[in-house]
Amino acid sequence: MSTTHPNSTPPFVPKPDIETDMPRDSLSAEPAADPRPAATPAASVASAARRKPARLVRRLRSLNLWIGAAIVLGVTACALFAPWLAPHDPLNQDLLHMLTPPAWMAGGDPAFPLGTDSLGRDVLSRLLYGSRVALTVAVIAAFGAGVVGSALAILAGYFGGWVDRTISYLVDLWMSFPPVVLSLVLMVSLGVGIDNVILSIVLVDWTRFCRVVRAEVMVVRQRDYVLAAQLLNLSHLRIMLREIVPAALPLMITLFSLEMGVAITVEALLSFIGLSVPANVTAWGVMIADARVSMHEAPTGLLFPMLAIVVTVLGCNLLGDGLRVALDPRMRGRGE
Amino acid sequence: MLRLVSTVLLRRLAAAIPTLLMLSLIVFVVLRLIPADPLAMMLPPNATPADAAALRHQLGLDRPIPVQFAIWLGNALHGNLGASISFQQPVATLIGTTLPATLELCLAALVLSLFISVPGGVLAYSVVERRAEFPVGLGVVLMQSVPSFLWALLLIALFGVWLPLLPFSGRVGDGIPMPHLSGFLLLDFALDGDWNDWLSAASHLVLPSLALAFGFAPLVIRVLRSSLLDQRNESYVGVARLRGLSERRILWRHMLKNAALPALTMIGVQFGFLLGGALLVEMIFSFPGVGNLMVQAVRNNDLVLIQGIAVVFCALMLIINAVVDTLYVIMNPRLRKAV
Repeated sequence: MSTTHPNSTPPFVPKPDIETDMPRDSLSAEPAADPRPAATPAASVASAARRKPARLVRRLRSLNLWIGAAIVLGVTACALFAPWLAPHDPLNQDLLHMLTPPAWMAGGDPAFPLGTDSLGRDVLSRLLYGSRVALTVAVIAAFGAGVVGSALAILAGYFGGWVDRTISYLVDLWMSFPPVVLSLVLMVSLGVGIDNVILSIVLVDWTRFCRVVRAEVMVVRQRDYVLAAQLLNLSHLRIMLREIVPAALPLMITLFSLEMGVAITVEALLSFIGLSVPANVTAWGVMIADARVSMHEAPTGLLFPMLAIVVTVLGCNLLGDGLRVALDPRMRGRGE
Repeated sequence: MLRLVSTVLLRRLAAAIPTLLMLSLIVFVVLRLIPADPLAMMLPPNATPADAAALRHQLGLDRPIPVQFAIWLGNALHGNLGASISFQQPVATLIGTTLPATLELCLAALVLSLFISVPGGVLAYSVVERRAEFPVGLGVVLMQSVPSFLWALLLIALFGVWLPLLPFSGRVGDGIPMPHLSGFLLLDFALDGDWNDWLSAASHLVLPSLALAFGFAPLVIRVLRSSLLDQRNESYVGVARLRGLSERRILWRHMLKNAALPALTMIGVQFGFLLGGALLVEMIFSFPGVGNLMVQAVRNNDLVLIQGIAVVFCALMLIINAVVDTLYVIMNPRLRKAV
């Protein structure tokens, strides 16, 4: 248990910098080697001369949030209503209509709006059903990674001492793995299946949450209301759940959104190699792998699943960026 | 200076050894949890249970896991990573012949991504709080939303199939003998003076390394932008401005140098991202590197090979990070006293 004075000022803890944490990895394992000074509030003063477009910029920045939210909601709707929206069964092979181009191109068939693949399966229906796999993995894996990573981060940040040292060591160790290599090793050992994809993403990506949330908890722990709760002799569990979690929640939500994008990418990558879903399930990565074989005859087949992945990941990233600005009070008025 | 650098490098490398041991232990244990029996692949279909037991004993798979790990570690220290089940060759030989290709690819990608990300980062910084900030920011996020393996397919579709400008399979054209000097083709051909072959190798390297670089560059752009933002209130910027230096000179000559440090850390840590990306990019381009080997090993459930490659990848990560830490000391004089 930390024994801080009620009046002590919080020690210097670098602001958790999500900006540098976008990819499946992390910043240096040695924060001491980071010579960057903390950002000063004077940041916006220097640019007073160019203040005018700032409001427009801020409005556009929040546009990020809305574009991202719209994309994510749209994909969610596709996933939920796929059985009603899809014109065909995604696995139904129609060998009379192989590699039809999209309906608006020469030789297209209006029955197959986005054309068919090399086995005559409807591309649109497969895209719609593929969004179910992508979103299931994205939501559950990001949630799991968030819960595991944040729980460990709160324990580490709240108790400090050997708990912190142990957890931080684990994080450092995990981050020495190239993430894709770790997922592959885990998938080999767990076997094919959506559950295992989710589990392997959680096991690889919890560190992304842990590292960033821990830094935030170390700041929150020093706040007066946490000290007040400690003086009231409330239990540690209660303080963590009622005082610390709400303070770190905006950060966790932001990370969750970014992690969804990562999870979609990893799932697509694994299903591209054939390690993710069993053969009777449609996933975007599988579609890409199929279309790659017939790329010379029908390049459009490659385009649609790629667009689906890129747009969905873009939506998650924009939503995460927008949330970061909207939810973090330190960001307000920084024009950043 | 040289002594300082070598001290730092050696110290960092020494500190990485326990980490590498722990990592190989984790890989070892995780791969022993596998539900499929690795023996199934190695035995003929008509093998008896006695044959299986004999093979299991011969491979040491009937020993407890800690003993197995100790044996593996002892062999690994002698450079023997076991024999691949599917290739019937020593793992160390397989990795040794493919590693230069991967390193060449990753280094080329790193250089290319710097050519993209340094101007990109400066651009992203210079539009801050201007009208162009939104489109530029959107462009960076969009670029970041396309993983390397999709860039690879996109580049093949564009420059390999649609406009057949560049080759997209293998490391050199047909009929060109592979030199056996360092394994780094660009270096080997240049040493031999075979400029036609050199061109062939270089043109085969363009698309895969571009795919990796496009996946990597946005990460560096973002770090560079935010560290430039942190630099703009530093007092040296004010001093330079008072001395009448042009804004462009301040940005490119002074701020960029200081902002490079966080970007350097990023590159070190994200090297794993590059290695991971290389895995799929190599597979897509049939590039004979370690990543391609890994994908084949995974498909064949070749545990010994997977384990060897995973450990080599981890070792590469640790070495790169030690090198980055050392570069850090060279570039930042403030850190030299602490050593």
